[in-house]
Amino acid sequence: MELQKLNVKFFVEQPDKIALTDFIDVFHSWIQATDGVYHDVADYSHMQAGPGVVLVANSANVSIDESGARRGLLFSQKAPLTGSNQEKIRAVLGAALDNCRMLEAEPALKGKLRFAANEALLSVNDRLVGENSQQSFDALKGDVEAVARQLFGGANVSVERNADSHRQLNVHMRSSAAMDTAQALRNLTVHSPIGGALT
Amino acid sequence: MDQQLNWKEKLGAKIPAELGREIDIFEQQMELRKAGKIDEKVFAETRLRRGIYGQRYDNGQRHDGKRVQRLPFNADLVKGPDTFWDAPGMVRIKIPFGGVTPEQFETLADLSEEYSDGVTHVTTRQDFQFHYVHIDDTPALMRRLAAVGITTQEACGNVVRNVTACPLAGICHEETFDTTPYAKATAKFLMGHPDTQDFGRKVKIAFSGCEQNPCGLVTMHDMGAIAKTRVVDGKKVRGFAFYVGGGLGSVPYKAKLFDEFLPEEELLPTMQAISRVFARLGEKRNRARARIKFLIAQLGVAEFKKLVAEERQKLADDPRWTDFLKSVNDPTEEALKAGISLNGHQRPEGFDAWYKTNVYKQRQAGYVAATVSLPLGDASSDQLRALADIARRFVKDTLRTTVEQNILFRWVSEADLPEFYLAIKAIGLGAADAATIVDVTSCPGTDTCKLGIASSRGLARELRQRLGEKSLQLDEAVKNLRIKVSGCFNSCGQHHIADIGFYGISRNIKGFAVPHFQVVLGGKFHDNAGEYGVPIGAVPSKRIPEAVSTITEFYMRQRQKDERFQDFIARIGKKAVKDLLEDLTKIPTHDVDRSFYSDWGDPREFTLADMGVGECAGEVVSQAEFTLAASERELFEAQLLLDAGHSQHAVKAAYASMVRAAQGLVKDQNPMISENDEQIIAEFTQRFYDTQLFWDKYAGGKFAEYLFKAKEFVGAGKTADADRAVQLLQEAQLFIDAAHDCHNKVRGGIASAPAIAPTLQPGA
Ligand code: SF4
Repeated sequence: MELQKLNVKFFVEQPDKIALTDFIDVFHSWIQATDGVYHDVADYSHMQAGPGVVLVANSANVSIDESGARRGLLFSQKAPLTGSNQEKIRAVLGAALDNCRMLEAEPALKGKLRFAANEALLSVNDRLVGENSQQSFDALKGDVEAVARQLFGGANVSVERNADSHRQLNVHMRSSAAMDTAQALRNLTVHSPIGGALT
Repeated sequence: MDQQLNWKEKLGAKIPAELGREIDIFEQQMELRKAGKIDEKVFAETRLRRGIYGQRYDNGQRHDGKRVQRLPFNADLVKGPDTFWDAPGMVRIKIPFGGVTPEQFETLADLSEEYSDGVTHVTTRQDFQFHYVHIDDTPALMRRLAAVGITTQEACGNVVRNVTACPLAGICHEETFDTTPYAKATAKFLMGHPDTQDFGRKVKIAFSGCEQNPCGLVTMHDMGAIAKTRVVDGKKVRGFAFYVGGGLGSVPYKAKLFDEFLPEEELLPTMQAISRVFARLGEKRNRARARIKFLIAQLGVAEFKKLVAEERQKLADDPRWTDFLKSVNDPTEEALKAGISLNGHQRPEGFDAWYKTNVYKQRQAGYVAATVSLPLGDASSDQLRALADIARRFVKDTLRTTVEQNILFRWVSEADLPEFYLAIKAIGLGAADAATIVDVTSCPGTDTCKLGIASSRGLARELRQRLGEKSLQLDEAVKNLRIKVSGCFNSCGQHHIADIGFYGISRNIKGFAVPHFQVVLGGKFHDNAGEYGVPIGAVPSKRIPEAVSTITEFYMRQRQKDERFQDFIARIGKKAVKDLLEDLTKIPTHDVDRSFYSDWGDPREFTLADMGVGECAGEVVSQAEFTLAASERELFEAQLLLDAGHSQHAVKAAYASMVRAAQGLVKDQNPMISENDEQIIAEFTQRFYDTQLFWDKYAGGKFAEYLFKAKEFVGAGKTADADRAVQLLQEAQLFIDAAHDCHNKVRGGIASAPAIAPTLQPGA
């Protein structure tokens, strides 16, 4: 399986502290602070458990996503990735964490936002690359476990799949040890080839 | 693993051959555009006719509130005038009469996740739309849709758009008969029909089962049919009150009665004849006056009818006109469960309020149609999948989209409703607001539309939230009002037919642009969009929620017993309402409160700098240009055949491409030219070769002779070896290039075509 179009979601601790619509202003300020990197902000705050607020760019989207009724930062890679599958997974995790860190440090959010870095949801947003089957999961599992061990600093790691066949191929990785985004990023140590484009 | 496959290979025979072929053609046209072999304007109309639309900022510029940023798209490749290839775009998906299935929901959910932003949007014409789609993804997207029986073909562009119909057709108490089979047959018959390919603007068609109710909105359409019956020789026969020339847009026109009883067998031929008259006489250059409504206004209905009758006489019989009539009485749908009434069943909390607004008792005992309200017409991929599961639990393939941007579940056994309600509530779609003031309809506006002036969705979102919070306290008369919002005067949000409508405008206040909405009151959704509202005045966008409260409270205070809103507005007059809103038109200065100088849900300082050139109108591309583009594609196919070692097939395909190019040139002078190669070449010779119009300054008639030689070669059944095939393909390319030059020469007025009377082909 040659991975492409990877999505990664890190979940927010205490999501009630910030209104979803507050992220609209933050994302617009990110656009103003860069030059031509992002295209747009899409506001889906009227939907329950929907895509939330999406910052759209050509290479990847970053959103405060509410799907599954759990708020998190969803990083959706669109531009082609290079390297081995493990490198690709690391790159996308790194880019997602970079964006989490930027949001945590965002002055407008007054330190009220924290992400739990001991849990991440990885999905393959291309059913041609992989359907959500046991076979695909088995093919992917080894690479995800290896990266997850690195991400979580060797702590106990579990990886599991939501087996609903209509969903994207997905792997939920967790560690029992609490961890913040700075530590997780240090653990990854690999710099994402795409992180720079979105941070 | 499947990764070596692409969607075309993976789906294989699941893609209906006809749709598959269409998508292959489009994919080839994309390749040709990338190679610079199709003009950008022609390609724009080509993609529009496949539902592939532009989107805001696709000209590579975006105002960030402080300055204009250049978006780094590849400047060398465009998909239309001033529209970058890599810029995200919109895809419109045609759903004739709004009929969808659970399987289609699942596919839409997957596609929205993979190619869009996870949202499937229901439009005000029963279509679906995705936004932020890259054009390179569209062939795969189309194939996956085709595999579940959906096409995007002719969803945009100057063609017949989605054919709409009452979502209650077939289950309604008041309908004369079920219009579903007629809407279906119309959509099928007119899609891709040669007589509907040369319009100056789009054509919208709607069906209604009755005169009095709003669902069909017939009178705001270019063509509209209301079901009627008549007794002829003691037998009840079916037909339609048939209307033409309606339309919203900046200046709304009510459709005129064309025929008070058009027999069912005359429905399709009449539409075909109207299409011909419109294609022939409709305005092509000034798109602002190119809809049928302007042609009818110019000619008068009587003259228009006369021309249509003449055209009708010329049409050769087509079995498709009546074949479908054999099955119009067959049941089109069935229920999953027995129809059992609700009596005695336990009602969950919130159920009664929802039942009151969202449930319609079908004329079939024990069954109901339940509306699932989608906020702003949006459904997430999770919600769509859940709706597919819910559909399989309670009904069969009996789902419809509505023009109010919701989903209707038909044939639900009433006894199942409490369970059904809990299921949709669990996915956040249990709002009790269908067809109420809370269920605000909106076009995309500045969120994604290139022509948007103000944020219609932002305003709709704000109104939904505010009205939703107090909906239980609202008086019934207010609750039953409808609000519709458009981002500009083009009225895609259908503001003209709302009780309270708005459309986006900009006003300059002390040197600052301020988003405003024009308030339009008293439109009638009922009686098939029976009245259009009157503009009252402009109110700053951020004051609109107050304006809604002021108007509705005034209505409650001053309303005479049971007086309808339209009558109330007519009675008190425009001036009184304008005076009422006067205070709201004033806003603090920019230094005191900046919030008035930005739009809903968008903190940027308001500007019109992001407006682009819209594609709603499509590009007016002549049939000659289309045919020349088709010849390029056919030659490309010939090249593929040659590359695959099929020299003989390649030669035939190359010859066909030359004939196609010749046909393109002839079409400008004789739109009715046949498909027969002998006739095409004869006319080409007469009009372009003998007159030397086709002649090159240096090469003389050489390129035309390539065509004659190829005809002779193919006609003689000679076998082509690889060398001869290569040569013939090269000659074909030269001929097609010369055809383009000739077309440009004639169109550009450098040369003029001699007047030769068109030869009408039999059956053309
Ligand atoms: S009404 Fe205007 S803003 Fe809305 S979709 Fe139509 S053209 Fe765009």
